[in-house]
Parts: sequence; structure tokens; C-alpha cells
Amino acid sequence: MKCKTFLVRLWAVLSFAATAGVIFSLFAYIFRGGAEAISWEFLTQSPKGAIIGTKGGIYPAIVGSACFTGIACLFAVILGISAAIYQVYYCRSSKLAAAISLVMRCMAGVPSIVMGLFGYSLLVLTLGWGKCVLAGGITQGVMILPFIQVRAEKALREVDPALVKASYGLGMSRAYTIRRIILPQCLPQLVSGVILGACYAMGAAAPLIFTGAVIIAKAPKSLYKPAMALPYHLYMLLTQGTSAKNAYGTAFVMMMVVLVTNTLATWFAWRRKK
Amino acid sequence: MGEYGFPEKEGICLRKAEDRIFGMVMGLFALLTVLLLVFLIYFMCRESLPAIREVGLRGLLLGDQWRPLIFTTVPSYGFRNMMLSTLYVSVLAVLIALFIGVGCALFLACAATQRQRMLILPYIDLLASIPSVVYGFVGLYIVVKFFEKMGRAAGESVLAGGIVLSVMILPYMISSCCDTMVKIRDRYAPASMAMGVSRWYLAGQLVLPASGKGILISMALATGRAMGETMAVMMVMGNSIALPTLLGKAETISALIAMEMGIAEVGSTHYSALYAAGLSLMLLLFAINIIFELLKRRLSREE
Repeated sequence: MKCKTFLVRLWAVLSFAATAGVIFSLFAYIFRGGAEAISWEFLTQSPKGAIIGTKGGIYPAIVGSACFTGIACLFAVILGISAAIYQVYYCRSSKLAAAISLVMRCMAGVPSIVMGLFGYSLLVLTLGWGKCVLAGGITQGVMILPFIQVRAEKALREVDPALVKASYGLGMSRAYTIRRIILPQCLPQLVSGVILGACYAMGAAAPLIFTGAVIIAKAPKSLYKPAMALPYHLYMLLTQGTSAKNAYGTAFVMMMVVLVTNTLATWFAWRRKK
Repeated sequence: MGEYGFPEKEGICLRKAEDRIFGMVMGLFALLTVLLLVFLIYFMCRESLPAIREVGLRGLLLGDQWRPLIFTTVPSYGFRNMMLSTLYVSVLAVLIALFIGVGCALFLACAATQRQRMLILPYIDLLASIPSVVYGFVGLYIVVKFFEKMGRAAGESVLAGGIVLSVMILPYMISSCCDTMVKIRDRYAPASMAMGVSRWYLAGQLVLPASGKGILISMALATGRAMGETMAVMMVMGNSIALPTLLGKAETISALIAMEMGIAEVGSTHYSALYAAGLSLMLLLFAINIIFELLKRRLSREE
């Protein structure tokens, strides 16, 4: 018995150490390699060189990714938070609410590459938009929609029912209650969910391959033009094996975004708890 | 109605018209959200129908030859090998993540205080936010290089994919297992402390056996995640359409789509077969999610 207990303890401690080690070394690896590659020029210049990406920077990819992510968030926030509000406060049958939840879980289970196929078929071909920022952004938006909706629903359901009942009791309408009482209370959590969703969209390359990302482009000026994206650029750099230095630099930028967005999201989530 | 039920009939309410309009707008957006899934399924089916009609479900799912672009012989569109590699690499990843994830969750549930858990879990969730391309990058430079140093001609393999993928699904595994284990620990802790049982005896003899079902559910969740993954797996598995072996190269369904969609002519059987591959992956994931849901429901009923 003692031996078994000891083994369990050893296993748990080692697993935890392994997990912590992996997290630490992932960041350390990228940050160490990326620190040399990062410079002002790298962040503000276009990719250059005989094989694109061997020289120069990643400025268009940063702007492109920001555009894709921005559109994705706008799309997912409008649809996701509205659907959550409807589900929690307006929907009169619990079956309908459960159906919306089921749809969200199914959508969350759709692989990102299938989202890409969907966007390609609907937006790029059927609607005839072609590969563009708008098509890529909306495809990513569909991908992060369940992510944001589920978090929004959870936040809305954590509001104290007594508060809501009191507001109704004073003769306030639902719309007024939601705007003035519920949303301000949930705001930190909603923001936290959106930030995490944005981070998820920023890093996803699979939905963009067919819908909006190209190997080389200028910083996008129009929604109907294709653009570069950070993850796709990194993928191209690696598969062509041209410049390890620039690959480290691109990965560094993405890891910084991950670190900053997650810190912000955690901070916002904690604010609600206080 | 739920706990936020609004007194529709009885009671007075200010600005009723505004409320109704706001509700209608919200309902419209909710409807759009649901329609998105309908559209998604419709478009996937519409695009894959020509291939299903031409090659047949049997030929697509069970055919072991994927030769979409050969003009001398009859082209063949069976993606069985890719389906098998998707399953292979996912199962491998889940097994590795199971071993480390359950251990780590046990540590967090039994050895860490509530406050420590609150501090540590966001760091573990960081793993879920790292872009999959970055995982592919690190996998290519560390895991694949490691296999090459060990004397293999090419480091890209199903095993490399499994290792990289296991790190990617670790956070899902840990947070889901940890939730279950904390609940169980809280239930047994007072009694076992009164009996003077050590913390690790409690962990090994009570918490671990009792969380079996919770672990099973987290495995289903992680399998779903693993099977949908594209970029990282594509970068470290070598992308060969052969039957997958542990140390050989292989190509998953998602990698197949990502690699070949660009060269497939729109409207061709090749194009349609790629959609069919995507559709079958999606349906497989739906099935896994439904099983996961049923399990969860049964579990919560038993509690």
C-alpha cells in the first residue's frame, strides 16, 4: 500500500513538473530565438529577398492578421452575445434554449479546416467575393462564434437572479435591465471571452488558407483584397525552409500576442470575481 | 423560463415596444447563428455530393488508393489511409496526454490549495491559446530533429505528430479532469482527514478511482480537439498517403484538405472528394461529441 501511494505521488509530481516544464520551455525557446530576430525594421518592413521572406520584415502580415481578427471579432461578438442574451433572457421555452446550446456545441466541434472549406464554398465561390480579407475574417468569425457565445452565456447566467427580479419588479423592461444592469456587471467576463476569442482567431491559419491569406501582399487597403496573415506567413517560411531567423521572429510576435491577451483576459476575469 | 423569467402577462412594464424590438433583434441574431450551422452542413453536403455519386461512399471511405491527378489510369479517391492516420495520431496523442494530464490534474486537485490552483490553471490554459503553427514550428525544430538525431532518416512521423498533438490537448485534459477531481476530493477530504489518512493515500485510493468517468469524458473532449487539428500535424507528420505506421510518415484528413485544396480544380471530382473527406471528418466529430454529451448527462444523473 505504501509503495502504491508513493508511486501515485511520484507520478503526480512528475506529471506536473513535465507540464510546467513544457510550458516554460516552449516560451523560452521561442523568446530566445526570436529576441535576435526582432528589430524595428522587422516589424515595419515588408518581406523581401529572392525567395520571399528571407529578408525584410513582417509588417503586412501584422496588419493583415489584425484585419482578419478584427472582422472575426466583430462578427462573432454581434452574433454570439446576441444569441446568448436571447437564450438566457428572452427565450420562453427551455427546449429552444437547449437547442441553441446544442448547435453551439456542434459548431465548436467543427474542425477549423472544415470551416475553411465552408467559407471557400459559400463566401469565396457562391457569393463570388474571391479570396479576401472579408471572407477570411468572417470564416474565422464563424470559427470563434461558439467560443464567445458559450462564455457569454456562462457570464450572463452568473448574474444574481434577485437583482434581475428586483429590476423587473420596479417595472423595468428586459431591454433596459440588460443594458443598464446585466451588461455592466458581466462586462469584464465578456471582454475576457472576446480577448481569448481574438487570440484564437489570430493564431488560426487553417480557415484562412483558402479564404483570404496569400503568400505575399501589401498591407490591405480594401476589404475585398487578400492579405497576409502571421500564422500563414510562419507556415510558408517553415515549409520553404528559407529563413529560420525570420520564422523565430514571426513566432515571437505571435507568442507575445498570446501572452499579452491571456494576461489581460485573466485580469478581466478576476475583476468580476472581486 | 428559468430563474430570469420575465413577468410577461402580469405586472406593468415601462417602454414595452422598445423591449419587444430589442428582443426581436436578439432573436434574429440567435436565429442567424443557428442557420449558420444549417448552412455549414448544407454547403458541405452540396459540395461533396458529386464525389459520393461518382465514386460511392464505399469507394471514398474504404478505398485505399488516393490518386486524384493521374491521367494514365483511372483516378481513385479513397481516403481510408488518411482517415486511419487521423484516428491513429489522435489516439496516440490522447494516450500520452492522458498519462501526463491525469497526473497533473491529480497534483493540482490534491496537493495545491484553491489559491494556488487559481494561479496555476491560467498558465496551463496558455497552452490552449498558442497558435498551432507555432506548435508545428517547435515540433519541427525539436521533436523531428530529435528523431533524426536518434538515427532515423526522416524525423517526420506519426509518433512526432502524436507527441506535438498531446501537448496541444493537454490543457483541455487537465482543466476538465481537475474540475472533477476537486469535487471528489472535497467530498472525501473531511472524512479522510478525520481518519488521519495521508493526502496521497486519499489521492491514489479515493480520488483517482472515483474520477474514472470524468477522465473518460475529458478523453472524448480531447479526442475531438485532436482530430480537428490541422497545421501542427501537417508540419510534423511528413504527409505521405501510405498506410500509417508509428514511425512512418502519414497524412491526416485535415492535412490532405489543406495540402490539396489549392491544386484541385473547382467543380472537379478531386475538389468534391476533398469536401467529402471534410464532411466525413465533421460527422465523425459530431458523433464523438454526441457520445460525450450522452455520457455527461448520464454522469450528472447518477450524481
